[in-house]
Amino acid sequence: MKKMASLLLAMSLTFSLAACGGNNNSSESSNSGEGSTNTQTNAGTNVKEEDAKPVTLRMAWWGSQPRHDYTLKVIEMYEKEHPNVKIESEYANFDDYWKKLAPQAAANELPDIVQMDISYLAQYGQKGQLEDLTPYLNNGIDTSNISENSISGGKLGDKIYGFNIGVNTMNFQYDPELLKKLGVDKPSDDWTWEDYFALASKAKEAGLYFDGGMRPEVFFGYYLRSKGAHLYNADGTALGYEDDQMFVDFFKPLANLVKEGDTPPPDVKAQIKGLEDDMLVKNKQVGIWQWTNQFVAIQQVANRSLEMAHMPGPGRNEGLYLKPSMYFSISKNSENKEEAAKFIDFWVNNVEANKLIKGDRGVPVNTQVAEGIKSTLDPAQVQVFDYVTWAQENSSPMDPPDPVGTAEIIKLFAGLAEQMDFQKLSAEDAAKQFRKEANAILAKNKQ
Amino acid sequence: MIYPVIWLLMSSFKPSEQIFQTAGSLIPTDWIWTNYSQGWEGIGGHSFGVFIKNSLVLVVLATIGAVASSALIAFGFARLKFFGSTFWFGVMMVTLMLPHDVTLVPQYIMFSKIGWLNSIKPIVIPAYFGAPFFIFLMIQFIRTIPQELDEAATIDGCGKFRLFYRIILPLIAPALATAAIFSFYWRWEDLINPVLYLNKPSMYPVSMALKMYLDADTLSNWGAMFAMSIVSLVPVVAVFFAFQKHIVEGISTSGLK
Amino acid sequence: MRAAWKNHLTGYAFISPFVIGFLAFILIPAGASLYLSFTSYDLFTTPRWIGLDNYKEMFFQDSKYWQSLKVTLIYVFLGVPLRLAFALLIAMLLNTASKAVGIYRTVYYLPSIIGGSVAVSIMWRNIYGDEGIINLLLNTLGLDSIRWFAEPFAALWMLISLSVWQFGSSMLIFLAGLKNIPNELYEAANVDGAGPVRRFFGITLPMLTPIILFNTILQTIGAFMTFTPAYIISKGEGGPLDGTLLYSLYLFRQGFVYFDMGYASAMAWMMLIIVSIFTAILFATSKFWVHYESKGD
Repeated sequence: MKKMASLLLAMSLTFSLAACGGNNNSSESSNSGEGSTNTQTNAGTNVKEEDAKPVTLRMAWWGSQPRHDYTLKVIEMYEKEHPNVKIESEYANFDDYWKKLAPQAAANELPDIVQMDISYLAQYGQKGQLEDLTPYLNNGIDTSNISENSISGGKLGDKIYGFNIGVNTMNFQYDPELLKKLGVDKPSDDWTWEDYFALASKAKEAGLYFDGGMRPEVFFGYYLRSKGAHLYNADGTALGYEDDQMFVDFFKPLANLVKEGDTPPPDVKAQIKGLEDDMLVKNKQVGIWQWTNQFVAIQQVANRSLEMAHMPGPGRNEGLYLKPSMYFSISKNSENKEEAAKFIDFWVNNVEANKLIKGDRGVPVNTQVAEGIKSTLDPAQVQVFDYVTWAQENSSPMDPPDPVGTAEIIKLFAGLAEQMDFQKLSAEDAAKQFRKEANAILAKNKQ
Repeated sequence: MIYPVIWLLMSSFKPSEQIFQTAGSLIPTDWIWTNYSQGWEGIGGHSFGVFIKNSLVLVVLATIGAVASSALIAFGFARLKFFGSTFWFGVMMVTLMLPHDVTLVPQYIMFSKIGWLNSIKPIVIPAYFGAPFFIFLMIQFIRTIPQELDEAATIDGCGKFRLFYRIILPLIAPALATAAIFSFYWRWEDLINPVLYLNKPSMYPVSMALKMYLDADTLSNWGAMFAMSIVSLVPVVAVFFAFQKHIVEGISTSGLK
Repeated sequence: MRAAWKNHLTGYAFISPFVIGFLAFILIPAGASLYLSFTSYDLFTTPRWIGLDNYKEMFFQDSKYWQSLKVTLIYVFLGVPLRLAFALLIAMLLNTASKAVGIYRTVYYLPSIIGGSVAVSIMWRNIYGDEGIINLLLNTLGLDSIRWFAEPFAALWMLISLSVWQFGSSMLIFLAGLKNIPNELYEAANVDGAGPVRRFFGITLPMLTPIILFNTILQTIGAFMTFTPAYIISKGEGGPLDGTLLYSLYLFRQGFVYFDMGYASAMAWMMLIIVSIFTAILFATSKFWVHYESKGD
């Protein structure tokens, strides 16, 4: 019987050895193999690169199939130009991506180049996982055609933890045909919140919903900015507005729209399974409040022409801002930070590469690139580019990226908004509860 | 009972954008095969066949390990008296009760220290050290076997290992088959371990690949996802069908001699 | 004396894979998580010892914690018995079927196979949707539709019904257990002239008790740890109004969304204590109702 046990042990050991050997071999052989052929074919085109020592970079991003496909092509393009560089790509969908990244960070095993989202930037950056990119500006990453504003979109304190690779802004995306049923051709360019509430309240009569609600932290954040306040204070240690009346002014009419049946209640929204199932797509809802980069997808699924309207005012210029849609960050544990920076440079500044990217990760921050690829875009993408260009002139600099603890605050906020929409909690009580609990979460950032 | 399966099957023949709009009507208005051809092309240049192969390797290795080692361990617990057996049984039960989420990060760090990341080792090798669920299952089955049988065999001069191998093992065939079915299916659908330990898309199993068709942010390829879900059900159903026979041929047919 | 030693050694030889595996793969991570439960740990920086603070917060400040515990207990106490009863019933039916058993079994097991997939989540949302089959049925019976996604308990019921519907694994274990009952016992009973009811209570049920114990314990543990279905139905939000905020869902959120792994670890160990109490009770009472053919333990 002991024999059996030891046999099992031996078996498992053999497996581990076999797997071990197999792995190393394959990765080594593929490395050296491709490296050498590439060096030969590219000899002469790039003398400097030829002497460079071989480098393997790991790069991680989230997305779906089309994004994976073009990103792999861009990587291929880069590897051709830099034969000494081999890029190993690690991609997954959004949910799985973050599940994977957290343990990697805990074990100091992060990939060299990491795609980052604004809600995670502070968590990963300020907890020592990401490299400060300041030294690489114009020293690896050429920023001559990128505005200061875009770059500071990745700035927390005095450190740049993520390089902004594309920008967004928010607006109202709607179906003009459905809006006509409410007796309006298009919202006026300088419509106000009152105009919006008045217009939306006609939706039920027309047998429609007006919109799918507003994500509280995003749109309340805009509202506060338009009133000269902020959601978070400058160092992210407390809420950035004093008067709870602003909370009430914003949320009370929204909850009222739900109550009157002009916007869908939470349980109806919970039944939507995907974009294809969206109320707007199904001709049951006039429009959506969301980020501009989401316009292309919704337009594609709806398969009819949609329009974009500005955010309601007053104070729109103060409220509106350009938000980094995504960042590329370099991990602290990377051993090839310069090489990683070079790749980011290629990504943001190379026109040919961006003809493949087509603004999928936000409108390019390099203004010349954005101009240069415009002719290759679909009409919906051009609409988005134009809107962002307009917003550049009609907005104010963004607040610092979300502080640590944002994820918890978003959940808190969503929970309160749900209770308000179900008419189980008054806006006044929600305002108090939000202030108390959000401040408790943010207070942890004080140390 | 099988309405969802039929729905899944039918949806795999509908264009992505129609799947939800016509969720009420089961039969597609026009049947399309492109979901299958598109889905089979896979993701990032890896055909879906690659993912199936990866899954099979992973699942078969882990299942063999889990079933064989669990049977051995279960016999030890169920039939042998030794110092500390209750203690170890308790330990085993406790390992079943600790949520995986909190051991996941320490375990990841541990596997990174011994250089097992980006390989199937952290997924497959621990299976060879017994799976508590199966151990407990087999213990319960061994306990339904009359002890007189052991005693008779021992008088016949059977050693403990031969007793296990010759007498007990055939008698708990239903439990072994059950364990094999479960292990196969659980490993097949396991997502968290591959997500953590496999970085290269060329190593992804089916469970991960299926999720790559979907993304909350951008467009999802529902049709391909459903089509490949159907494809990925085939091996699981086949294994189930093959092994469930052994549940029938349990003690009642093989009989007590 | 030497024989006794040999017995101990033989025993350990058989269970050695588990002991080694436990020491190699489980002990350290489990110990680490226990330690972390007394710290403030955000995954990226060094854990900071804070004593019992996590536990105190859990008990005295975090109303969501209690909500998640409540939801989970309802889920367990309604879901497990229903699922087991259903599984046993179908297993007995299948056990008597003579033709095409393989097909029947596969059909009944299928729901469990497509278990966690996206397809099921979409399905389930359709069935319970405002225009879904269930409401349609209610309407034809002259009853009002239920807004399943608006009422916390109704939403939890959706989860429970999903778990009952996926009874395949319990059924399979019962089936294997039924097949393991020696025919001789039934033959003897037939000679005694016992009817089907007496055979069920006199033979089937007692002989099946070890398997019932197994299923009850494992299903209870599994139900406490349920995670995926909640993710599927409420997109991981635990809504409406935290009505489906299962313990594991909240634990995951603390650890991987809020990056409070210390708190998540404390929650995990609390869960372990709660579940082991239930298990211990089941084991303790098993003396009175579980029938083992072998006396060995």
